[in-house]
Amino acid sequence: MDDALESRSIRTDLSGLVVKIVGYLFIGLFSLCCLLPFLLVLGTSFTSESAIKKFGFNFWPREFSTFSYKIVFENPDLIVGSYLVTIAITVVGTSIGLFLVAMTGYALQRQDFEYRNGISFFIYFTTLFTGGLVPFYLLVTQYLDLKDNYLAVLLPGLLSPFLIIMMKAFVKSIPHAITESAKIDGAGDFTIFIRLILPMTTPALATIGLFIALGYWNEWYNAMLFLSPDMKYRPLQLFLYNVITSADFVRNSAAASNVQLRDVPLESMKMATAIVATGPVILFYPFVQRYFIKGITVGAVKG
Amino acid sequence: MFKWKRTSILLLAAVLVFALAACNGNNGGGGNGATNSGAESADGNAVDTSEFVKISYLVLGDKPKNGQFDAALKKVNEMMKEKINAELEWKWIEWADWQTKYNLALASGESIDLITIGTDWLDTWGNAQRGAFMNLDELLPKYAPETWNSIPEEDWAQSKYNGKIVLIPENDYTQWVNHGFFYRGDWAKEAGITEPIKDWEGIEKYLRYIKDNKPDVIPWDAASGTQTWGGFVQSYTDQLELPISTGFLPVFTTKSWDERFAVTSPIFEDVFVQYATMMKSWADQGFWREDALNNKGNNRDALKAGLSGLDQHHTQTFSGLRVEMDKAQPGSELQMFPFSRTRGTNLMELSITHGGTSVGAHSKHPERALMAYDLIRNNEEIYRLINYGIEGVQYEIKDGLRTRPAGYDEAKHGYYSDFWGGRVDKFEIPSDTSWDQIDETLYAEYEKIKKQYVYGQFVFDKTPIDAELTAISQVTGELGPAIVLGKVGDPAKAVEEFRNKLKQAGYDKVLAELQKQLDAYKAQMGE
Repeated sequence: MDDALESRSIRTDLSGLVVKIVGYLFIGLFSLCCLLPFLLVLGTSFTSESAIKKFGFNFWPREFSTFSYKIVFENPDLIVGSYLVTIAITVVGTSIGLFLVAMTGYALQRQDFEYRNGISFFIYFTTLFTGGLVPFYLLVTQYLDLKDNYLAVLLPGLLSPFLIIMMKAFVKSIPHAITESAKIDGAGDFTIFIRLILPMTTPALATIGLFIALGYWNEWYNAMLFLSPDMKYRPLQLFLYNVITSADFVRNSAAASNVQLRDVPLESMKMATAIVATGPVILFYPFVQRYFIKGITVGAVKG
Repeated sequence: MFKWKRTSILLLAAVLVFALAACNGNNGGGGNGATNSGAESADGNAVDTSEFVKISYLVLGDKPKNGQFDAALKKVNEMMKEKINAELEWKWIEWADWQTKYNLALASGESIDLITIGTDWLDTWGNAQRGAFMNLDELLPKYAPETWNSIPEEDWAQSKYNGKIVLIPENDYTQWVNHGFFYRGDWAKEAGITEPIKDWEGIEKYLRYIKDNKPDVIPWDAASGTQTWGGFVQSYTDQLELPISTGFLPVFTTKSWDERFAVTSPIFEDVFVQYATMMKSWADQGFWREDALNNKGNNRDALKAGLSGLDQHHTQTFSGLRVEMDKAQPGSELQMFPFSRTRGTNLMELSITHGGTSVGAHSKHPERALMAYDLIRNNEEIYRLINYGIEGVQYEIKDGLRTRPAGYDEAKHGYYSDFWGGRVDKFEIPSDTSWDQIDETLYAEYEKIKKQYVYGQFVFDKTPIDAELTAISQVTGELGPAIVLGKVGDPAKAVEEFRNKLKQAGYDKVLAELQKQLDAYKAQMGE
């Protein structure tokens, strides 16, 4: 008996070791694959443009230069303002969006909700057919009158069909009996949602919240369409995108025959903007990662 | 099931009705707006300026961040207020996705008073077709009399869509955007080239000299995307380039100035083989990098650093670059060989509608907008404020040249307004950042051989051959770069393959359609 136990534990130790080695090796290689390009970006962003031209991209800057950061941070108040705008939109948008998505997802899977299929279809329908850019633009600028208004960026990101469907699938795993029992105890629908359903869906909320937050953080297209340069502070991504495109355009376009040339370190500047844009997300990520992983595993087990 | 089906049908119907309604409302509104305001203003006799209005002007470019533009505009607006009781407001379309934004702004029915246009790069005729601009025939003589009288009849003729004036051309502003090679005069002299270079063989000799004698220099540090085929056609044929984009390489031209409505393609002529052979030989001689096709470097920076001996761009660029080079590489004596020089026959002016201004169809104050435009274009003080900024801050005039005042700092005082909607030569002050001899050298040379631009009003309707044109663009993008940079095994074979692929892509169909539309254009022009 003792013998048998011992040999078994040795065997598991051995195979466990192999699994561990392979696992660490694999994860190590994988993270290296993720890390290296980022380091290359970081290195390049600190390289002078002429060195990039001569030696190409390098992990370690051959000719150290902070010129591209100087151009990106040329107007510090603008970049700080852009950061604040993006953070504000992300925070507000994520909180409201999360609440709305959770509520919609929950309502759509309640079996005692008669029109749930119709409304689900209505939401799903928008993923297949959209009006296109011009009607969207007209709607926002003419009917909602949201030009030069941060709401034009905030509102479109609040509800996405994909996230609603995801939420719906997740809430489905919570037995309907819980809702019913709470009903018997005299709870209203809203109380049920807030006090029972929401706490049980934290992993899903974290996942969806992260999706929404990333969406807002990276959002620039709506901002580009609806927020004109008359607004002093515009979302960060748009601000950085503009820094790049204006430099790019001045260099390459034939239409720019009228535009004055200004020397800009285009390549390293691209990298510098990437660093400026991703920095905060990287700092923020470890804090929500916990929930994120939980969300995936819980979803996998139950789904 | 039945229920579900009914719901979805209802939904669909609702969506369709809504979409239709939206379209109708928009179109109707646009049309009415244009005609009404046009009629009203023509009826009124005296110009009523009692009401203070803001005039918006749509320009392309990034809004300047240092506040200098606002300062200059404030001065302009003081005068605007006094003269016509109005205020100008610049509305910027930034370079990020500018095509989309510009077209959306015009399509949305927003009230814009003045709009920068460009028939060759801003799809002006397409927008005119969609009703984005107001008819100006009746408004112009009354509200912009100076502009109206200063632009000759034939230039107005080029500003018409369906017989109505829809834009004010930038017809009185000299700018040459014809391309050519820039080479260093000092190295050319060392190479024994004493006369100005006038053909590609001359350039070859020059590059050969650099290759053999200057080991640190790449004769021409050409980067991926370099395209000289159009220039070769201009040098060695009389064919005129058509304003039709076929992607990387221009494919369609017209036969010559005399036969300017007859479409052809130099691709299917011997000249293309000659070109491919020459480029192959240049590549084999190592005039550019082995990996030029992937080279993302900037040749112009290399030229300024003395690491490259040749550049290729248009005259306007040359004018500024010459001054920069005189500073960066003293004694370099940068020269330009314009492609038109070889035969001295093939040079068209820039379209006078490359820049210009239109009035928005939904403008609430078209009268005042035109009055403001008339001032920008004809009042010297306002003109200079808008184009150059404030005298003493942005510039001062020394010996008739515009120079930077002492203490000028580019970041703090840098100025631009991106006003390309009606600059005029008479108010321009030559700048010390453009070459002071450009007039007597290149411009004088061009003056002698230039021909009027004839395709300014040609509106090419792509719809019948959209697919073919896309396919052709793909072929030129796929096979073109290797031919241009000589990275082909056998030039003749590469050319043959290129031609075959073009044929497969629908070359003949596009040619026929193009000819058909040019015939119609010819008839329309009364020739």
